[in-house]
Amino acid sequence: MDSKHSSPATIPDHQPSTIEKLVAFLDERVGLKEMQAKMLHEPIPGGSRWAYVFGSILLFIFAMQAVTGTLLMFYYVPTTDHAYDSTQYIIHDVDYGWFLLGYHFWGSSAMVVCVVAHMSQVFLWGAYKKPRELLWLVGLALFGIVITFGFTGYLLPWDQRAFWATTVGVEILDKTPVVGDFIARFLKGGPTPGQMTLSRFFVLHVMILPAALMALAGLHLFLFRVAAPAGPFSGTKEEIKAKTDYFFPRQIWKDMVGMAFVFVGICALALWEPVVLLDQAAPDPGEYHPEPEWYFLFYFQLLRLKIFAGEFGQFLGAVALPVVFMALLVALPFFDKDPERNIFKRPIALISWITIMVMIVLFTVASVINREFLD
Amino acid sequence: MAEERESMSPTKIGFSILWSACWTGMVVKSVFAVLLLTMGLVHFEGRFGLAVVMLLISPVTVFAIPIIMTVFGAHFGEGIGLGILFWLSIPVDIWALGLVGRTFFLERLRKEPPDGLGLAIWWRAAFVGAFFLPVLWGIVSFITDNAMTASHSMAEMESLRHITDTGLPVAERIGLELTIWGSISSAVLIALSLIGVSILGQIIRRISEECQPTSESYQGLITRWDLMRVPTDQGLLLTSLAGVGVIFSLMFWSILPVTTPHPHECCKKPDVQVEPVFKPVESLSSSAQRVATLAAQIEAMEQQKVATKGQKAKGKGKTEGGTTADSTAKTKP
Repeated sequence: MDSKHSSPATIPDHQPSTIEKLVAFLDERVGLKEMQAKMLHEPIPGGSRWAYVFGSILLFIFAMQAVTGTLLMFYYVPTTDHAYDSTQYIIHDVDYGWFLLGYHFWGSSAMVVCVVAHMSQVFLWGAYKKPRELLWLVGLALFGIVITFGFTGYLLPWDQRAFWATTVGVEILDKTPVVGDFIARFLKGGPTPGQMTLSRFFVLHVMILPAALMALAGLHLFLFRVAAPAGPFSGTKEEIKAKTDYFFPRQIWKDMVGMAFVFVGICALALWEPVVLLDQAAPDPGEYHPEPEWYFLFYFQLLRLKIFAGEFGQFLGAVALPVVFMALLVALPFFDKDPERNIFKRPIALISWITIMVMIVLFTVASVINREFLD
Repeated sequence: MAEERESMSPTKIGFSILWSACWTGMVVKSVFAVLLLTMGLVHFEGRFGLAVVMLLISPVTVFAIPIIMTVFGAHFGEGIGLGILFWLSIPVDIWALGLVGRTFFLERLRKEPPDGLGLAIWWRAAFVGAFFLPVLWGIVSFITDNAMTASHSMAEMESLRHITDTGLPVAERIGLELTIWGSISSAVLIALSLIGVSILGQIIRRISEECQPTSESYQGLITRWDLMRVPTDQGLLLTSLAGVGVIFSLMFWSILPVTTPHPHECCKKPDVQVEPVFKPVESLSSSAQRVATLAAQIEAMEQQKVATKGQKAKGKGKTEGGTTADSTAKTKP
């Protein structure tokens, strides 16, 4: 035996505190320290960047949506008789209910914005290329889930806006060949949106979609750790090597600042533009002009164009266009095999992204002008 | 590499510093903005008012916004909180410009940043902004208004009206007009913004020309600017940030209105009438008393009814009885 180890002078004076004992207890059973080392000591080529914060922010927003959604569920009643009144009750009578509902509402918008920002970053950085194809595909599935979250949650307040947005949305789905009729009938549960529709949308919104999102987000993180971060698309090897750093502390601090900024931003929106319900849902739209949530306005305006009128036009705009667009996104890592990741050396990718963003902004503004014209 | 640093365009220098400083400062400023919103001290107007004001209260716009509001009558919002936000943004911007500027000087220009760099850049940026931005605002507004009128006239041209039988459809017309005036307006805005950023870049370059070049290695420089952003004492940073977060949360929840400060005009809450407290024992005994009283009343009523019936029957019996006796007597042989 080594004499140093048996010497009384080497016996540590430090007595472990209660927290240290607890950590040691957990570490012995679940491998806490190893898990922590794996999570925090992930090397980031080229060092931390603000552009990498969107994934963490999305997880944060989802957690906050789950918390606020659960609190709202304590008071919300998913029946056509009580959905509207219970939402009004949350707004007017429940302590801080108006703020929680506003936060949940704007949180969903923030989630869509951050998903688009995250996808844009991955696209511009060329981070979907080999060996990250599966990561990209799972990300696309998560994008679909986030959009479906917004669509199903929109009906729950059961006001005119909710009712007609759902009616229009389901009608668009109905035009999908082969499965469209089944999906529309399944979602509506009857000839017009009613109790069955509300029940099904509620179950999708609070049970099926959260479970699917958690499972896919876990898979996304796993694939991210297996493939490792892509790093910057430009810079010399010397620069990238000099700046390479672990996930902790710099990237974690950036992520935390990003989360704080998004949290504060959502709070500001909830305070500035709180949720205001329209009249209770009714089969007669009256003077209300049906329209979807703001992030779908560009697509809604696109469908108003003459080219998308008529039976074939509607099929083209409502089905063919989004299906082709999603198919292109799915196939992207498989037909773009060029290892070049620098966006300034990929002109087609850069021009495509700019065109799509300009179109989204243009048609969204056009939709707002169109609304003023209709009013 | 050294040539690249020397030949860096003023636009690139100005944009690199302004863009990063704007976002660095905005995180802090947004916290103040939320607290002021929660207290109801500021009311932003227009759908994008908040975003516009938050973006505009930057180093270059802090003095330009009041000038624009006075000269052009533009209105972003009201309330004492807007003024407070303006004053609070000054120290935040000086700090943000200093942090970003020191990083930029070390990493990109390889120069030793001078003392008080944040203040030096801030007052120059504020001075340039106070003159340049109102001019930019005026020109862009003028061109946008004219472009909108021109695009509206173009859409009504006879040649376009005859494209289809019923004239140009509404959605196409809106899209066409928006594309025309939006493109012109955006092009002018981008061009003037680039000129403004370039002016600022030239000012920053002049500051850097007076600085000494640094002799450290690239790795050493990275370590230096990295330590400006993330201190070595992580525990202290975590504790202080957590403390700020806790204080912010406590302030936020203590001043946040419990019920909505935005009552809807369409569906006002009815006046609530306080109901008396329900006391089961008292309620039961009073109910029992009431039942007993009612039972007694019913019994009394029934007795009265019976008595009335009895009296009626007696009276009837007397009359009927006399007649019978008489008839019996009459029928006796």
